[in-house]
Amino acid sequence: MSPALRIGLPLGALVVILIAWETAVRATGTAGLVPSPVNVARAGVALIADGTATRALAGSLQRVLIGFCVAAVIGVPIGLAIGTAPTLDRIFRPVLDAMRSVAPIAWIPMAILWLGVRGDAALFVVAYAAVFPFILNASDAARRVDGSLLAAARSLGAGRALTFGAVITPSALPFLFTGARIAMGFAWGSIIAAELAIGIKVTGQSRAVAGLGQLMVETLYVRRDVDALVFYMLMIGAVSFLIDFGMRRAQIRLMPWTLR
Amino acid sequence: MSSALRRVATAAQPMIGIAALIAAWQAASVIAANPTLAPPLGAIARQIAAMASTDLLNDVVASLVHLLLGYGCGAILGLVLALLAARSEWFAAILDPYVEFLRPISAIAWIPIAILLFGVGRGVPVFLIFYASLFPILVSTLDGVRSVDRGLINAGRALGASRRLVVTNIILPAALPSILSGARLSLGVAWVAMVAGELVGADAGLGWRIMWYQEFFSMDGVMATIVVIGAVGWLLDALLRALQRRLLAWSPTTGARG
Repeated sequence: MSPALRIGLPLGALVVILIAWETAVRATGTAGLVPSPVNVARAGVALIADGTATRALAGSLQRVLIGFCVAAVIGVPIGLAIGTAPTLDRIFRPVLDAMRSVAPIAWIPMAILWLGVRGDAALFVVAYAAVFPFILNASDAARRVDGSLLAAARSLGAGRALTFGAVITPSALPFLFTGARIAMGFAWGSIIAAELAIGIKVTGQSRAVAGLGQLMVETLYVRRDVDALVFYMLMIGAVSFLIDFGMRRAQIRLMPWTLR
Repeated sequence: MSSALRRVATAAQPMIGIAALIAAWQAASVIAANPTLAPPLGAIARQIAAMASTDLLNDVVASLVHLLLGYGCGAILGLVLALLAARSEWFAAILDPYVEFLRPISAIAWIPIAILLFGVGRGVPVFLIFYASLFPILVSTLDGVRSVDRGLINAGRALGASRRLVVTNIILPAALPSILSGARLSLGVAWVAMVAGELVGADAGLGWRIMWYQEFFSMDGVMATIVVIGAVGWLLDALLRALQRRLLAWSPTTGARG
């Protein structure tokens, strides 16, 4: 199949779908009740122009980054410890499995109680979601360092520091990076969920907590603007896509030896 | 209270880690000295017992019905799409970019749209579970089917096997490890999507029960429900792991993590 066709086919399918959708909405006269491509685009331009969408996006992203860093700081050392000591692994594996089985968002009521609604509760949920990919992949990273490489480095006279810098780190980094990529995806997914859940709880009380999730709640229940809602969805999708794509790119760029 | 503690400790005997976790929680609740902020173990255990004799079964069944509907549709559609894409290059070319764009979008982001489309009720969690479980199984099935040894397929053909026989006797068994690890990944994300969907957009199920307890400010109830969610989620994963071991006894499997 030619490259032109490879791009043209899905693009063509998209155009057909969009045109059919727009005509269907116009023909049935349900614009405003049902989102339509043209109206979604119009809503998007307006929301970006007056800064509503970008401000909310910045708020959510900021919390995702903080939660992600907290998860990394907690998760990587735990993962490395578990990966290097089988005893620790046997003791803590069931704990991790049990905690991982609890959906992060289920902690929302407790998190609100512990940390308040002003964004910190969402942070807790983000960190909780992101910590497990870090732990699992860091423990993998520690476990899969090639023993013969370690022995070779040592027999060639490498000290502890050199072994760590020249053997362990390069072999573990790709796993850590994969963990970070998955964690970032989880974090972004759960910030939206957390903000939605918190937003629904505090609508009308405090407008200070403005992330994309809260904005969506407001759009859904107060403004009832379906076109804006679909635009936010697309925005969330685009950010998810960019995060995933960007981190894959970064991995190839920073760690060319991990090319698979 | 101490008898409840002992009972919990006995059940968790082989798991020092679990016992440590429970002890840590109890210590926290003693230090916090506030049954709302950190309900003590005894209160949580009593609450679970109380739920078990009233609504627990209903909640679990409601959740499992959501899960079964959404996960069933998602897994089947994922499987079918993957098999179609493996057979037709055209179909794959159209499908691929959409999958790549939609896949990273967490199911949870669809909540407002789902509430708008289906209203508060069964539709929201079922849709979210469907969306969440679709992609992992689709991607790993496609991966598995595409990496089936061509030599095996050609050998089957050369020996006169029909197309259908090749699919059922060569391609599916060879792809089974990938399909099952996709199914397990799917179940994990589906479980999270289910809780989230029920939490904000349903009128039954374990996630909904959390919000219900929160309305009454009963943190014992919230914690008890969290424990139940963890236990049932863990059981489901264990079930699939056992299935994996059972069906793949012949193959050196690599577990999926994430």
